[in-house]
Amino acid sequence: MSTALAGSSSRWHELEQRFAALEPQLKESPVKESLSVLHALIGEAMRSTPSPEVPPAGDLAAVRNLFRSAPPMQGERVSDGLPEGSLAPDFALQDAQGQPVTLSGLRGRTVVLVFYPLDWSPGCSQQLELYQQESAEFESRGATVLGISADSIYSHGAWAAVRGISFPLLSDFTPRGEVARRYGVWRDADGFSERAVYVIDGDGVIRYAHVSPYLHHLPDLDELLDALERVQPKEEAIS
Amino acid sequence: MTMTYAPARGARTEVPVAVYGNRWCGESQMARRALQRAGVPYVYVDLDDHPDAEQKLRWLAGGLLHTPVIYVDGEWLMEPSMNELRSALIRHGAL
Repeated sequence: MSTALAGSSSRWHELEQRFAALEPQLKESPVKESLSVLHALIGEAMRSTPSPEVPPAGDLAAVRNLFRSAPPMQGERVSDGLPEGSLAPDFALQDAQGQPVTLSGLRGRTVVLVFYPLDWSPGCSQQLELYQQESAEFESRGATVLGISADSIYSHGAWAAVRGISFPLLSDFTPRGEVARRYGVWRDADGFSERAVYVIDGDGVIRYAHVSPYLHHLPDLDELLDALERVQPKEEAIS
Repeated sequence: MTMTYAPARGARTEVPVAVYGNRWCGESQMARRALQRAGVPYVYVDLDDHPDAEQKLRWLAGGLLHTPVIYVDGEWLMEPSMNELRSALIRHGAL
Protein backbone atom coordinates (compact mmCIF):
# COMPACT_ATOMS: atom_id res chain seq x y z
CA MET A 1 0.00 0.00 0.00
CA SER A 2 1.32 3.41 -0.88
CA THR A 3 2.47 5.67 1.91
CA ALA A 4 2.32 8.70 -0.31
CA LEU A 5 -0.81 10.10 1.36
CA ALA A 6 1.22 11.12 4.39
CA GLY A 7 1.49 14.85 4.48
CA SER A 8 2.49 17.59 6.85
CA SER A 9 3.01 16.97 10.55
CA SER A 10 -0.18 18.89 11.33
CA ARG A 11 -2.16 16.57 9.08
CA TRP A 12 -0.65 13.56 10.82
CA HIS A 13 -1.74 14.95 14.13
CA GLU A 14 -5.29 15.47 12.89
CA LEU A 15 -5.45 11.86 11.71
CA GLU A 16 -4.20 10.61 15.05
CA GLN A 17 -6.83 12.65 16.85
CA ARG A 18 -9.56 11.21 14.65
CA PHE A 19 -8.32 7.66 15.12
CA ALA A 20 -8.26 8.07 18.87
CA ALA A 21 -11.75 9.55 18.91
CA LEU A 22 -13.14 6.59 16.96
CA GLU A 23 -11.69 3.90 19.19
CA PRO A 24 -14.32 4.07 22.00
CA GLN A 25 -17.05 3.63 19.42
CA LEU A 26 -15.72 0.26 18.24
CA LYS A 27 -16.87 -2.94 19.91
CA GLU A 28 -14.20 -5.38 21.01
CA SER A 29 -13.67 -7.71 18.06
CA PRO A 30 -10.95 -9.12 15.83
CA VAL A 31 -11.54 -6.17 13.53
CA LYS A 32 -10.86 -3.69 16.31
CA GLU A 33 -7.73 -5.60 17.27
CA SER A 34 -6.59 -5.67 13.64
CA LEU A 35 -6.97 -1.90 13.42
CA SER A 36 -4.95 -1.54 16.57
CA VAL A 37 -2.17 -3.74 15.18
CA LEU A 38 -2.24 -1.82 11.90
CA HIS A 39 -1.95 1.46 13.76
CA ALA A 40 1.02 0.10 15.70
CA LEU A 41 2.66 -1.06 12.48
CA ILE A 42 2.36 2.44 11.08
CA GLY A 43 3.92 3.83 14.22
CA GLU A 44 6.84 1.40 13.89
CA ALA A 45 7.26 2.35 10.24
CA MET A 46 7.38 6.03 11.19
CA ARG A 47 10.00 5.41 13.85
CA SER A 48 12.20 3.56 11.41
CA THR A 49 11.97 6.34 8.83
CA PRO A 50 14.86 8.84 9.08
CA SER A 51 13.52 12.20 10.17
CA PRO A 52 14.18 15.07 7.85
CA GLU A 53 16.25 17.86 9.32
CA VAL A 54 14.12 20.42 11.01
CA PRO A 55 14.56 23.61 9.05
CA PRO A 56 16.00 26.45 11.09
CA ALA A 57 13.66 29.11 12.35
CA GLY A 58 12.97 31.69 9.68
CA ASP A 59 13.57 29.25 6.86
CA LEU A 60 12.32 30.75 3.64
CA ALA A 61 10.69 27.52 2.51
CA ALA A 62 8.55 27.52 5.65
CA VAL A 63 7.44 31.08 4.91
CA ARG A 64 6.83 30.20 1.28
CA ASN A 65 4.53 27.35 2.29
CA LEU A 66 2.70 29.16 5.08
CA PHE A 67 -0.37 29.34 2.87
CA ARG A 68 -0.75 25.55 3.06
CA SER A 69 -1.58 25.69 6.76
CA ALA A 70 -3.36 29.04 6.72
CA PRO A 71 -7.10 29.10 7.50
CA PRO A 72 -9.09 28.61 4.31
CA MET A 73 -10.62 31.66 2.68
CA GLN A 74 -14.21 30.88 1.79
CA GLY A 75 -17.41 32.70 0.99
CA GLU A 76 -19.73 33.31 -1.92
CA ARG A 77 -19.23 36.29 -4.17
CA VAL A 78 -21.31 39.32 -3.27
CA SER A 79 -20.86 41.31 -6.48
CA ASP A 80 -20.79 40.60 -10.21
CA GLY A 81 -18.19 43.08 -11.38
CA LEU A 82 -18.28 45.07 -14.61
CA PRO A 83 -19.76 43.59 -17.78
CA GLU A 84 -17.81 42.67 -20.89
CA GLY A 85 -17.92 45.42 -23.46
CA SER A 86 -17.70 48.25 -20.93
CA LEU A 87 -14.79 50.65 -20.67
CA ALA A 88 -12.27 49.66 -18.03
CA PRO A 89 -11.88 52.40 -15.40
CA ASP A 90 -8.46 53.99 -15.36
CA PHE A 91 -6.39 53.82 -12.21
CA ALA A 92 -3.06 54.96 -10.80
CA LEU A 93 -1.58 52.57 -8.24
CA GLN A 94 1.86 51.85 -6.87
CA ASP A 95 3.68 48.61 -7.51
CA ALA A 96 5.85 46.92 -4.89
CA GLN A 97 8.74 49.26 -5.65
CA GLY A 98 6.53 52.31 -5.16
CA GLN A 99 6.43 53.06 -8.88
CA PRO A 100 3.12 54.32 -10.30
CA VAL A 101 1.27 52.11 -12.77
CA THR A 102 -1.70 53.41 -14.73
CA LEU A 103 -4.06 51.56 -17.04
CA SER A 104 -3.95 54.46 -19.51
CA GLY A 105 -0.16 54.08 -19.61
CA LEU A 106 -0.67 50.58 -20.98
CA ARG A 107 -2.97 51.69 -23.80
CA GLY A 108 -2.24 49.62 -26.89
CA ARG A 109 -1.42 46.50 -24.88
CA THR A 110 -3.70 43.72 -23.69
CA VAL A 111 -3.92 43.76 -19.90
CA VAL A 112 -4.93 40.92 -17.63
CA LEU A 113 -6.10 42.52 -14.41
CA VAL A 114 -6.16 40.00 -11.58
CA PHE A 115 -8.07 41.08 -8.49
CA TYR A 116 -7.35 38.80 -5.55
CA PRO A 117 -8.34 39.08 -1.88
CA LEU A 118 -5.06 39.13 0.05
CA ASP A 119 -1.36 38.34 -0.15
CA TRP A 120 -0.29 35.24 1.79
CA SER A 121 -3.75 33.65 1.75
CA PRO A 122 -4.30 30.13 0.38
CA GLY A 123 -6.17 30.61 -2.90
CA CYS A 124 -4.23 33.70 -3.84
CA SER A 125 -0.89 31.95 -3.46
CA GLN A 126 -2.04 29.24 -5.80
CA GLN A 127 -3.56 31.59 -8.36
CA LEU A 128 -0.60 33.91 -8.73
CA GLU A 129 1.84 30.99 -8.69
CA LEU A 130 -0.17 29.35 -11.46
CA TYR A 131 0.02 32.50 -13.59
CA GLN A 132 3.74 32.78 -12.86
CA GLN A 133 4.21 29.18 -13.96
CA GLU A 134 2.30 29.92 -17.15
CA SER A 135 3.89 33.32 -17.80
CA ALA A 136 5.09 32.23 -21.24
CA GLU A 137 1.46 31.74 -22.28
CA PHE A 138 0.69 35.36 -21.40
CA GLU A 139 3.89 36.73 -22.93
CA SER A 140 3.34 34.90 -26.21
CA ARG A 141 0.01 36.70 -26.48
CA GLY A 142 1.52 40.07 -25.65
CA ALA A 143 -0.48 40.31 -22.44
CA THR A 144 0.61 42.27 -19.39
CA VAL A 145 -0.50 40.61 -16.15
CA LEU A 146 -1.17 42.88 -13.18
CA GLY A 147 -2.11 41.58 -9.75
CA ILE A 148 -4.10 43.90 -7.52
CA SER A 149 -5.18 43.68 -3.88
CA ALA A 150 -5.66 46.00 -0.93
CA ASP A 151 -2.33 44.99 0.63
CA SER A 152 0.47 47.51 1.12
CA ILE A 153 3.41 47.78 -1.25
CA TYR A 154 5.57 46.26 1.53
CA SER A 155 3.41 43.16 1.73
CA HIS A 156 3.43 42.91 -2.05
CA GLY A 157 7.19 43.15 -2.14
CA ALA A 158 7.74 40.47 0.47
CA TRP A 159 5.14 38.11 -0.95
CA ALA A 160 6.39 38.47 -4.52
CA ALA A 161 9.96 37.81 -3.39
CA VAL A 162 9.05 34.73 -1.38
CA ARG A 163 6.80 33.21 -4.04
CA GLY A 164 8.88 34.19 -7.04
CA ILE A 165 6.20 36.37 -8.64
CA SER A 166 7.71 38.60 -11.29
CA PHE A 167 4.69 40.45 -12.66
CA PRO A 168 3.63 43.69 -10.97
CA LEU A 169 1.47 43.58 -7.86
CA LEU A 170 -0.45 46.81 -7.40
CA SER A 171 -1.47 48.19 -4.03
CA ASP A 172 -5.10 49.28 -3.77
CA PHE A 173 -4.35 50.49 -0.28
CA THR A 174 -5.04 54.24 -0.14
CA PRO A 175 -7.98 54.75 -0.19
CA ARG A 176 -8.48 51.10 0.62
CA GLY A 177 -10.21 49.22 -2.18
CA GLU A 178 -11.01 52.29 -4.27
CA VAL A 179 -10.04 50.66 -7.58
CA ALA A 180 -11.78 47.41 -6.63
CA ARG A 181 -14.92 49.47 -6.00
CA ARG A 182 -14.64 51.05 -9.46
CA TYR A 183 -14.42 47.59 -10.96
CA GLY A 184 -17.40 46.42 -8.93
CA VAL A 185 -15.52 43.78 -6.95
CA TRP A 186 -15.02 45.25 -3.47
CA ARG A 187 -16.32 43.30 -0.48
CA ASP A 188 -17.18 45.98 2.05
CA ALA A 189 -17.90 43.61 4.91
CA ASP A 190 -14.55 41.80 4.48
CA GLY A 191 -12.17 44.62 3.61
CA PHE A 192 -10.81 42.90 0.51
CA SER A 193 -11.87 42.28 -3.05
CA GLU A 194 -13.54 39.42 -4.82
CA ARG A 195 -11.36 37.04 -6.80
CA ALA A 196 -11.88 38.40 -10.30
CA VAL A 197 -10.07 38.56 -13.63
CA TYR A 198 -10.56 41.08 -16.41
CA VAL A 199 -9.00 40.99 -19.87
CA ILE A 200 -8.75 44.55 -21.19
CA ASP A 201 -7.86 45.13 -24.83
CA GLY A 202 -5.56 47.82 -26.19
CA ASP A 203 -8.45 50.27 -26.49
CA GLY A 204 -9.33 49.93 -22.83
CA VAL A 205 -12.44 47.79 -23.36
CA ILE A 206 -13.21 44.85 -21.09
CA ARG A 207 -13.28 41.80 -23.35
CA TYR A 208 -13.50 39.14 -20.65
CA ALA A 209 -14.77 39.37 -17.09
CA HIS A 210 -14.89 36.65 -14.48
CA VAL A 211 -15.79 36.93 -10.81
CA SER A 212 -15.28 33.65 -8.98
CA PRO A 213 -18.49 32.27 -7.48
CA TYR A 214 -16.56 31.48 -4.30
CA LEU A 215 -13.45 33.12 -2.88
CA HIS A 216 -11.51 29.86 -2.92
CA HIS A 217 -12.38 29.14 -6.55
CA LEU A 218 -9.76 30.08 -9.11
CA PRO A 219 -10.79 31.02 -12.65
CA ASP A 220 -10.21 28.27 -15.18
CA LEU A 221 -6.88 29.03 -16.85
CA ASP A 222 -7.87 27.48 -20.19
CA GLU A 223 -10.93 29.73 -20.30
CA LEU A 224 -8.75 32.76 -19.58
CA LEU A 225 -6.21 31.84 -22.25
CA ASP A 226 -9.01 31.27 -24.77
CA ALA A 227 -10.30 34.74 -24.01
CA LEU A 228 -6.81 36.15 -24.51
CA GLU A 229 -6.50 34.28 -27.79
CA ARG A 230 -9.64 36.02 -29.04
CA VAL A 231 -8.16 39.42 -28.15
CA GLN A 232 -4.53 38.82 -29.08
CA PRO A 233 -3.78 35.59 -30.93
CA LYS A 234 -0.26 34.25 -30.45
CA GLU A 235 0.89 34.92 -33.99
CA GLU A 236 -0.13 38.56 -33.70
CA ALA A 237 1.59 39.14 -30.36
CA ILE A 238 3.34 42.44 -29.97
CA SER A 239 7.07 41.77 -29.82
CA MET B 1 -8.52 -2.65 -4.34
CA THR B 2 -9.61 -1.09 -7.58
CA MET B 3 -10.56 2.44 -8.33
CA THR B 4 -13.70 3.25 -10.25
CA TYR B 5 -11.72 5.25 -12.74
CA ALA B 6 -8.77 3.35 -14.14
CA PRO B 7 -6.07 5.70 -15.39
CA ALA B 8 -5.31 5.43 -19.07
CA ARG B 9 -2.01 3.88 -19.97
CA GLY B 10 0.38 6.49 -21.30
CA ALA B 11 1.36 5.99 -24.90
CA ARG B 12 4.91 7.06 -24.27
CA THR B 13 5.87 5.26 -21.09
CA GLU B 14 2.92 3.03 -20.21
CA VAL B 15 2.81 4.61 -16.75
CA PRO B 16 -0.74 5.11 -15.49
CA VAL B 17 -1.21 8.64 -14.22
CA ALA B 18 -4.46 10.20 -13.01
CA VAL B 19 -5.27 13.59 -11.54
CA TYR B 20 -8.28 13.82 -9.22
CA GLY B 21 -9.08 17.48 -8.68
CA ASN B 22 -11.38 20.40 -9.35
CA ARG B 23 -11.41 22.86 -12.22
CA TRP B 24 -11.44 25.75 -9.79
CA CYS B 25 -8.47 24.46 -7.76
CA GLY B 26 -5.21 26.25 -8.50
CA GLU B 27 -2.99 23.32 -7.60
CA SER B 28 -5.08 20.98 -9.76
CA GLN B 29 -4.61 23.36 -12.68
CA MET B 30 -0.87 23.67 -12.02
CA ALA B 31 -0.39 19.92 -11.85
CA ARG B 32 -2.33 19.28 -15.05
CA ARG B 33 -0.47 21.91 -17.01
CA ALA B 34 2.86 20.64 -15.68
CA LEU B 35 1.97 17.13 -16.87
CA GLN B 36 0.87 18.46 -20.25
CA ARG B 37 4.07 20.42 -20.66
CA ALA B 38 6.13 17.38 -19.74
CA GLY B 39 4.24 15.28 -22.28
CA VAL B 40 2.94 12.87 -19.63
CA PRO B 41 -0.45 11.43 -20.60
CA TYR B 42 -2.93 11.35 -17.76
CA VAL B 43 -6.60 10.94 -16.98
CA TYR B 44 -8.37 13.81 -15.29
CA VAL B 45 -11.29 13.16 -12.93
CA ASP B 46 -13.17 16.24 -11.77
CA LEU B 47 -14.44 15.53 -8.28
CA ASP B 48 -17.35 17.95 -8.67
CA ASP B 49 -18.64 15.64 -11.41
CA HIS B 50 -17.71 12.39 -9.67
CA PRO B 51 -18.73 12.51 -5.99
CA ASP B 52 -18.25 8.75 -5.68
CA ALA B 53 -14.58 9.13 -6.56
CA GLU B 54 -14.28 11.90 -3.98
CA GLN B 55 -15.82 9.67 -1.33
CA LYS B 56 -13.39 6.87 -2.09
CA LEU B 57 -10.40 9.22 -2.04
CA ARG B 58 -11.56 10.66 1.25
CA TRP B 59 -11.58 7.16 2.72
CA LEU B 60 -8.09 6.51 1.37
CA ALA B 61 -6.92 9.72 2.99
CA GLY B 62 -8.34 8.88 6.39
CA GLY B 63 -11.21 11.36 5.98
CA LEU B 64 -9.00 14.37 5.26
CA LEU B 65 -8.93 15.11 1.55
CA HIS B 66 -6.78 17.86 0.01
CA THR B 67 -6.85 18.14 -3.75
CA PRO B 68 -5.37 17.41 -6.12
CA VAL B 69 -4.77 13.74 -5.50
CA ILE B 70 -2.45 12.34 -8.13
CA TYR B 71 -2.10 8.67 -8.83
CA VAL B 72 1.20 7.59 -10.34
CA ASP B 73 1.55 3.93 -11.09
CA GLY B 74 0.27 2.69 -7.72
CA GLU B 75 1.45 5.62 -5.62
CA TRP B 76 -1.00 8.18 -4.27
CA LEU B 77 0.14 11.77 -3.84
CA MET B 78 -2.13 14.15 -1.98
CA GLU B 79 -1.64 17.81 -2.76
CA PRO B 80 1.94 17.24 -3.89
CA SER B 81 4.33 20.06 -4.62
CA MET B 82 5.60 20.23 -8.19
CA ASN B 83 8.91 18.80 -6.95
CA GLU B 84 7.16 15.89 -5.24
CA LEU B 85 5.16 15.20 -8.41
CA ARG B 86 8.26 15.34 -10.55
CA SER B 87 10.09 12.98 -8.17
CA ALA B 88 7.23 10.49 -8.30
CA LEU B 89 7.10 10.62 -12.10
CA ILE B 90 10.83 9.99 -12.31
CA ARG B 91 10.59 7.20 -9.73
CA HIS B 92 8.00 5.43 -11.85
CA GLY B 93 9.72 6.04 -15.16
CA ALA B 94 7.19 8.50 -16.55
CA LEU B 95 9.90 11.14 -17.00
